Amino acid sequence: MLDHLNVRPAKPTRVVIIGAGGFVGGAIRKQLDADGVTTLPLSRQELDLLADGSSAKLKGLLRATDSVVMVSAIAPAKTVSMLMQNLKMAETVCAALADREIAHLVYISSDAVYVDDANPVTERSACAPSTIHGMMHAARELMLKSSTEAPVAMLRPTLIYGAADPHNGYGPNRFRRQAAKGEPIAIFGEGEERRDHVLVDDVANITASVLAHRSAGALNVVTGVSTSFHDIAQIIAKQYGVQVASQPRPGPRAHLLHRFFDITDCHKAFPTFHYTPLAEGLERARTASS
Amino acid sequence: MSKPVIGFAGMTHLGINSAAAAAGQGAETVCFDTDATVIAQLKSGKLSIVEPGLPELLEQNNSRITYTAESGDLKRCGVVYISADVPTDDQGQSDLSGIRSLIDTVAAGLGRAAILVILCQVPPGFTRSLSLPKERLYYQVETLIFGRAVERAMYPERFIVGCAEPGRSLPQALQDFLSVFGCSILPMRYESAELAKISINCCLVASVTVANTLAELSERIGADWSEIVPALKLDKRIGPQAYLSPGLGLAGGNLERDLATVLRFSEATGSEVGLIESFVKSSRHRRDWVLRTLHTEVLAANPQAVIGVLGLAYKENTHSTKNSPSLALIAQLKPWRLRVHDPVVQASAAGHPEAAGCVTALEAAQGVDVLVIMTPWPSFRDLKADQLARAMTGRTIIDPYRVLDGKAVVAAGLNYFTLGAPPFRTAGRGTHA
Repeated sequence: MLDHLNVRPAKPTRVVIIGAGGFVGGAIRKQLDADGVTTLPLSRQELDLLADGSSAKLKGLLRATDSVVMVSAIAPAKTVSMLMQNLKMAETVCAALADREIAHLVYISSDAVYVDDANPVTERSACAPSTIHGMMHAARELMLKSSTEAPVAMLRPTLIYGAADPHNGYGPNRFRRQAAKGEPIAIFGEGEERRDHVLVDDVANITASVLAHRSAGALNVVTGVSTSFHDIAQIIAKQYGVQVASQPRPGPRAHLLHRFFDITDCHKAFPTFHYTPLAEGLERARTASS
Repeated sequence: MSKPVIGFAGMTHLGINSAAAAAGQGAETVCFDTDATVIAQLKSGKLSIVEPGLPELLEQNNSRITYTAESGDLKRCGVVYISADVPTDDQGQSDLSGIRSLIDTVAAGLGRAAILVILCQVPPGFTRSLSLPKERLYYQVETLIFGRAVERAMYPERFIVGCAEPGRSLPQALQDFLSVFGCSILPMRYESAELAKISINCCLVASVTVANTLAELSERIGADWSEIVPALKLDKRIGPQAYLSPGLGLAGGNLERDLATVLRFSEATGSEVGLIESFVKSSRHRRDWVLRTLHTEVLAANPQAVIGVLGLAYKENTHSTKNSPSLALIAQLKPWRLRVHDPVVQASAAGHPEAAGCVTALEAAQGVDVLVIMTPWPSFRDLKADQLARAMTGRTIIDPYRVLDGKAVVAAGLNYFTLGAPPFRTAGRGTHA
């Protein structure tokens, strides 16, 4: 659950976005720009968190009145090497934060931190990741939280989709690209696994609200509606006029069959905010990518 | 041998009802409270609580009842019950300082042979920890139910009495008084009796949690929990009085207090309490059912919606709003305009800047986009679906306790949402009716 230090939303003095060149970081920057918030966007060109001296460089950039959004990650982290690189990146940020007072820290984490059998997942579900990616985010949450006296918000989005997604993972993003090429959308088996998918614009919107309220705590950035891959494929197939084709799974079925979320905490934290329905979000992604 | 005079210290909901029952069973009764204002109100026949049958019972037995703010008036009592409230905080932790102070006051003025009985809800170990002669100190389990307090006090199922040494006979005065009620008397160690009270509540919570868990599943798979409940109640292992009505989590404070007590003792002793933690988690989840339904069905599509709320009390037939699901809901509806009505509780209790108090339930429905029935007051059952449909601007009724007839509501052109059944919609997805 989030606690709002600003009961009424107020513009942050400046928001430093670490990882502003990425899919999610770029969307957050765009949202803050639209809201008229001053930002200092840092992509890998401006700040390579794995480079020597990057901690001192970041420290030199930070001011006591800054809000910081840490979204930079090598994701999804699938190997031990990627895990260690991500922790090294976080260590760089932690070292800068330890020596520099800031006003607020927002970390873009992941719902992968939760135990697999937590249905429905809430912010109080046990953090017991079963994947390297989830363990990476859980470790980074703890590292960052213990490195600053500033209020810290952990935002834990689920599967994010949007026109600019670079990963092309199984789901809305890959389905849309297949359909855009006029190919049938390939689903594994019956595509019965039900998951929650959130539009990147909504992730950016929630992040902006958290910054404006100077919120502390944890919030899942999820829609509360879980949809099967089959149904997602059907929505996209209809948008593009292509077929859906079932394929044999490339391996055993994923250990996590379905995942549902209870978004009551979001209703309480941001009562007037409502997530973009999946069909509408997919249509927006189609329009933006065409 | 003359009948003992029975005293009650603490004119709480528990104290007044217990005293009324004692008088109703023929005992001369002394009602004591340290607050002279409370006593003055009782003397004038004004009750600050709502309890069916209580005013009549007090009036019928008025000649046997003495109201007093002087502790010395308890000196003539053979048995004195401590019937104060034990307040809890948001985590269900008890504040025992008030009851300790009251016990000191009462004990100082007791007759030499008088029996002191702790009737309040206290944690295991409390009674034995008191520095009072144990042969005159007892603990008795109370099983008050708001709205049915008179019935429960007049016709108890049994008395559970905590003693220092359960092998010894009860003192004559206490035995004589309790025997009048004609039910079983179960003496046991102090700690057993204190834990028996908690055990009763844990069993009730278990039943309610089963009902809530399977009611939610019913909502999602097309079953109707209300059709299942009669089948369960006819099973002798479950029984006709089982708590199987789905609700909005635990409310009122007492059940939550007992769960918190078990969790605290577990932390101190290392006993396994995963089940109790599940009860707490389930209760928290179900409490927000209305909020989730409101957002999903109305507020996401209509950000300007006006919301009608019927009921503020934590349950019907009481003025109490402690842990009220209605107030918890209203606290999350700050951005919206509300119209509220409760037959007993004032609209100001809602604590909402945009809540308009309404004199009648139908008035509260006037012009609203959605009507939520948060307390199942009997009078709400008289509302007619077609009248509501005409009064409301919107088409949604959320009625967790099934106060209204869902089919009549749908027939009147409204969408209907209740616990334990799939949505009843007039059109669109998953129509149930």
